[in-house]
Amino acid sequence: MASSPEVVVLGAGPSGLAVGACLRQRGVTFSLLERAAAVGSAWRNHYDRLHLHTVKQHSSLPFAPFPDHVPQYPSRQDVVDYLDAYARHFDLAPRFGESASRVARADGRYTVTHTTGTTTARAVVVATGYNRVPLVPRWPSDDRFAGAITHSSGYHHGRAWRGKRALVVGAGNSGAEIAMDLWEAGASSVSLCVRGPLHVMPRDLYGVPAQVNSLRLAGRLPPRVADAVSLALVHRALGDLSPWGIRRPARGPVTQLLEEKRVPLIDVGTVALIKQNKIRVVPGITRFTETGVVFEDGRELPFDGVVLATGYRTGIDEFLDGAQEVLDGRGHPRVYGEEAAPGLYFVGYRNPITGQLHDIALEARRVADHIARRTS
Amino acid sequence: MSELDHWHPVALSRELGAKPLRATLHGRNLALFRTRDGVGALDDACAHRGYPLHKGRVEGDQLVCPYHGWRWSADGRGASPGTPCAKPCAVAWDCVERLGAVWVKPAGADAAFPYVDVGGHTEIGTTRCRAKAPLEVVLDNFIEVEHTPSVHAFLGYRPGTIAAVDCETTVTDDAVRVFNHGPQRPLPKPLRRVFDIPDDAHFIDDWTTRFSPVHTVYEQYFLAGSHGPRAGEALRIAVFFTPVGPKETDLFVLAYTNATRWESPVSAALRIPLVMALVELEVRRDCALLADMADAPVSLTGRALGRFDKALTASRKRIERIYRGRREGALPVVDEG
Repeated sequence: MASSPEVVVLGAGPSGLAVGACLRQRGVTFSLLERAAAVGSAWRNHYDRLHLHTVKQHSSLPFAPFPDHVPQYPSRQDVVDYLDAYARHFDLAPRFGESASRVARADGRYTVTHTTGTTTARAVVVATGYNRVPLVPRWPSDDRFAGAITHSSGYHHGRAWRGKRALVVGAGNSGAEIAMDLWEAGASSVSLCVRGPLHVMPRDLYGVPAQVNSLRLAGRLPPRVADAVSLALVHRALGDLSPWGIRRPARGPVTQLLEEKRVPLIDVGTVALIKQNKIRVVPGITRFTETGVVFEDGRELPFDGVVLATGYRTGIDEFLDGAQEVLDGRGHPRVYGEEAAPGLYFVGYRNPITGQLHDIALEARRVADHIARRTS
Repeated sequence: MSELDHWHPVALSRELGAKPLRATLHGRNLALFRTRDGVGALDDACAHRGYPLHKGRVEGDQLVCPYHGWRWSADGRGASPGTPCAKPCAVAWDCVERLGAVWVKPAGADAAFPYVDVGGHTEIGTTRCRAKAPLEVVLDNFIEVEHTPSVHAFLGYRPGTIAAVDCETTVTDDAVRVFNHGPQRPLPKPLRRVFDIPDDAHFIDDWTTRFSPVHTVYEQYFLAGSHGPRAGEALRIAVFFTPVGPKETDLFVLAYTNATRWESPVSAALRIPLVMALVELEVRRDCALLADMADAPVSLTGRALGRFDKALTASRKRIERIYRGRREGALPVVDEG
């Protein structure tokens, strides 16, 4: 099978595994290549305390729900265990340690060059994840800073930060939760850099997960009504955060999601610490000094270390020939969940508020269906 | 590091309203109060004349002493209306509200906030119960299952079959874990149906105790049959042991479930308060029993111990080293006050 599969799937994370299970079910042969030594390497590598922000009832991959005992928001370890069991159950047999260095199309077939050789197939599914390569921005004189600057991909827990002054850059879900983790770990001060206006939403509102509300309401209300409803609810739950430096964008959260593809920050407890002045919100960075950072408001604060929760890029252009034709300016596929170019598919590059895993399950089925139809 | 230098819960969030509240930790009285930004804790004696500050009122972000009207911020900075140039200081504690409780540590004390892995769970509720016995004696009761057939109504194992319960104790540098596995005691049928517990269920009580501050996190669930798959609801319950004085210990119980509220809201609205009521009932039974242990010897030296008591000795060592910050083998400190 490995010598001439019909399909090559790149990446054995949730997307690649879901596509594999769907192809297997439809009788399509495939080779699943994974650069790491295990499935779900991104999930293995995330910081320890991470939980899914979406509920397990709406986050499982095709044909296999999460086990009963797992709580509604599976922990990082629960997800890793689930992916391990998923790969075993469907006998997906990923080929580990196989990093794809080039994917090229000629004469209607794809040739994938990987660590130990080349594989040709009539279709390729790119499922390398949207967090393949850490995005590390630079600032003036950041090389003079005496403390450590770590990307969040290298942050697992805050034990080494006890008694230290920490700055977290980036107010996405990771940045906000890492700031909370650092405070709990006993960092002597924690600052969270929030550059612009930002929508914040509690993960649960009156016991109902934000994801469940989104799934229930998605598409049923006009965006402006949905904006008004969600803002009113969020305001009741969190109040006005502007005294603490978090301003709300002019556009509502639903409009922003539709028009800018920006998801709100899903709060799992950081806001409560910000409101109790345990975590300080600071504006964007102007430059580094030897001992700290100068911010856009002119303030200079000392820090012992910085965590960059500044996100990732897909890095698809590093291995895919003709990538510019199928990727947008940010390096994300323009078309996902269906054929992006003849025989070329992308799965898992969307992060809707209804949940990334929820979306992966839908995309994987669609892509497998499409591929299976082309075979028969 | 001493026994004060940890994040201790000292009140439930719902106990602290607009009026300040007195809390006691290791014999130290604190005045807790709410401000616009959160919660504050000061030594419960005005730095001026020693009047109990918890009898004061909150104005804006300051606690006002009812005796001479001196005003105190949560960071300890004070102001005297009669002597405006004075810059008095109160003893302020670091104070935070989390997990449904108000927590304090001495200002600047170098301690991590205890991590309780409940980020995926649904909260059931919180409760507090005072056990009139020393910390060690109270903890002992909460880290062995041998007492459950006789003391508890629903929790734990069947009277007469405690010998059939497997109990495995594992220790690491900073934690003591106990894993108990045995046949579930007979429960009334309605209760079994509410929690989806099979007839021949086995009960697993798997807990880990850590010592900064002293707390135990329980994972409680059922198996269908002795080695069957997991069945029914699983609870995760954190119990924090806050010493009030030498012979009084407050239990802060934070209870969580792996079930959801939103899937079937009506049944959850009935079931969740019922679970919490059962948890409270069992904790109160422990506290009632412990009241008779107030003067029991704290030391385990020379006591007759059984196979369920390995965690007790392991925990004593870690209380001394991690919680009280005493070197192993050091002589105990005698409090002559």
